[in-house]
Amino acid sequence: MDCLVEKVVAVIMVGGPTIGTRFRSLSLTFPKPLFPLAGQPMVHHPITACKKIPNLVQVYLIGFYEEREFALYVSSISNELKVSVRYLKEDKPHGSAGALYNFRDLIMEDCPSHIILLNCDVCCSFPLVDMFEAHKRYGGMGTILVIKVSAELANQFGELVSDPVTNELLHYTEKPETFVSDLINCGVYIFTPDIFTAIQNVSVQRQEEANLRRVSSLEALHFAARTFPSDFVRLDQDILSPLAGKKQLYTYNTVDFWEQIKTPEMSLKCSSLYLAHFHSISPSLLANSNDTKKSTIVGDVFVHPSAKIHPTAKIGPNVSISANARIGSGVRLVNCIILDDVEIKENAVVMHSIVGWKSSIGKWSRIQAEGECNGQLRITILGEAVAVEDEVVVTSCIVLPNNTLTISVQEEIIL
Amino acid sequence: MKALILVGGFGTRLRPLTLSVPKPLVDFANKPMILHQIEALKAIGVTEVVLAINYQPEVMLNFLKEFETKVGIKITCSQETEPLGTAGPLALARDKLIDDSGEPFFVLNSDVISDYPLKEMIEFHKAHGGEASIMVTKVDEPSKYGVVVTEEATGKVEKFVEKPKIFVGNKINAGIYLLNPSVLDRIQLKPTSIEKEVFPKIAAEKKLYAMVLPGFWMDIGQPRDYITGLRLYLESLRKKNSSKLASGSHIVGNVLVDETAVIGDGCLIGPDVAIGPGCVVEAGVRLSRCTIMRGARIKNHACISSSIIGWHSTVGQWARVENMTILGEDVHVCDEIYSNGGVVLPHKEIKSSILKPEIVM
Repeated sequence: MDCLVEKVVAVIMVGGPTIGTRFRSLSLTFPKPLFPLAGQPMVHHPITACKKIPNLVQVYLIGFYEEREFALYVSSISNELKVSVRYLKEDKPHGSAGALYNFRDLIMEDCPSHIILLNCDVCCSFPLVDMFEAHKRYGGMGTILVIKVSAELANQFGELVSDPVTNELLHYTEKPETFVSDLINCGVYIFTPDIFTAIQNVSVQRQEEANLRRVSSLEALHFAARTFPSDFVRLDQDILSPLAGKKQLYTYNTVDFWEQIKTPEMSLKCSSLYLAHFHSISPSLLANSNDTKKSTIVGDVFVHPSAKIHPTAKIGPNVSISANARIGSGVRLVNCIILDDVEIKENAVVMHSIVGWKSSIGKWSRIQAEGECNGQLRITILGEAVAVEDEVVVTSCIVLPNNTLTISVQEEIIL
Repeated sequence: MKALILVGGFGTRLRPLTLSVPKPLVDFANKPMILHQIEALKAIGVTEVVLAINYQPEVMLNFLKEFETKVGIKITCSQETEPLGTAGPLALARDKLIDDSGEPFFVLNSDVISDYPLKEMIEFHKAHGGEASIMVTKVDEPSKYGVVVTEEATGKVEKFVEKPKIFVGNKINAGIYLLNPSVLDRIQLKPTSIEKEVFPKIAAEKKLYAMVLPGFWMDIGQPRDYITGLRLYLESLRKKNSSKLASGSHIVGNVLVDETAVIGDGCLIGPDVAIGPGCVVEAGVRLSRCTIMRGARIKNHACISSSIIGWHSTVGQWARVENMTILGEDVHVCDEIYSNGGVVLPHKEIKSSILKPEIVM
């Protein structure tokens, strides 16, 4: 079938429950991809960015969670954005590229001319429209979104070298020990369907190597260390690295913000980044600081329409308040995420914290942490249904769900 | 005869174990905690057990079907939609507890482990002819609990004193009750405390009697008491000359080993150890005062004391694990690692030593 008409399918990798133990205190009761940043589920941000591509026909979310955990979300987002969004569960790990290949029949069903691949736990402005135009100009098999970072940070990621004139990817190496480049892989890609052939070649080559090893016992000794099953293909090491310098892959630079959302601390920071970003893409989502009848708003704040805030409360900067939350009189909120159904009673203070669903914060209590300090981010996290009694101070703690705090605590993990 | 087991609660004190299963299903001496109580009730002729729960009912219900057939007793659930305290659940389960026989019914607290002398309690109850009987147990530090003050000769309860500042007595509520159906008329369907509201009223009418619990008692709702409780439980098995206790040249003191567990050569196991189904203990391992849960593997030359090793976890070669280390489900301690009181959440790998007690998320 000839794919002459331009059609785009987006694939978002969302991970799974036992991967990502760093997000635990919150993900014990909630899947991380649906955790709200700036008032919308984490995965919502890349999906709305994809919607800006004119010929988007389908969005697939691929992960290890049970289908039922995403059922409600995909149906509501499909309705809201008027594009088909489906969740696909991987039966076993295939690696980042292998997962794409595993579902290739489904992805190719719509006969897409281009495939966008994104990682859900990436926080950025997703400049997909411009990146798409650039990809078409380059005419290669794939375009990788890249960003410049400080040399010290670069070795935590995939480092790339690209031709300054043609933007061709010349070299790619994953988490190198020595400095290669300060340009890193953002985890956002645009491919043509040729990517599937490239992945298949890797699988075939693996299978051939495995067969050869069985024949030569000396080879078997050498390669005893690490062998992958033939359908386990990693995008970085197995596709990008070998294809660099072969005029097939190109890079597109972004100068906007970019972070990985690996920990609850980062989710608070990324929520603030998205709130700031709303100024340019959807300012109506931010709370209006000019409405004098309502509470005082400072800086970027998101308030869900169903949340109730007392007029004497002062909210912001960098605060997100989710559905049905109730904020009492004289409350001060700074740099925090208040999740659904939370009740914050009179005169309480919450700073640099995440307050979990259905929690209750007592009068004059104080939930706090240092915030950003010496490059480190320290926050307090209250899991689901945590009750903090009146006048209690909670400082730099992680509190697991269903606990009641009756006395002040500092720097503790409460199971 | 009927019984109610108060399960309630999220089991936060037994985390990280209760992050994997609800508290009543956490194994104690190689058996889910609640099965100990259900079996004791079955032994004295109880035909129906009601579990008062408010958390993860779906997980519980699956197991209960299995227990029903295995033990041969009817098990039903009474689910609280809001926390009802220690007496409210009885009102909720009223219809299941009363039948035309007018017989008294048992109420047990699910965190308690003891010999369950329920037959003696029935006789005690018949003898005094009062409305309610409670078991009390002697403790060293009564001020930590609610003390029950009784008339020495008859056991008639005079009053309850919550966490007394001066010494008023050394018997506390053991969480085992035998109640006449009329007690249910005193309890409304709302959050109510049995010790603070219901029992004091019955005591004032001189109709509440307390029996001193013979044998051991422990509230195993938290790890330290769980480990002490295991010692007491195994000690009582020894007193009854139970054939369940292990024996052999590699066994010291009271040790329970499931028949499907495998123990290697040159080990020294005990005292006060329970090794669960499917566990593998390799050669040269030293275990004392610890619980090894289903499917765990202890590798060569490791040494474990005063700790709980969760389901399907592994402890590496030459590792030393001690001082109230609690490993959740599927935790892997690498070779040669030392853990001093580490509390590790499920699905983690411990690659560096834990030198002082801390929680590893």
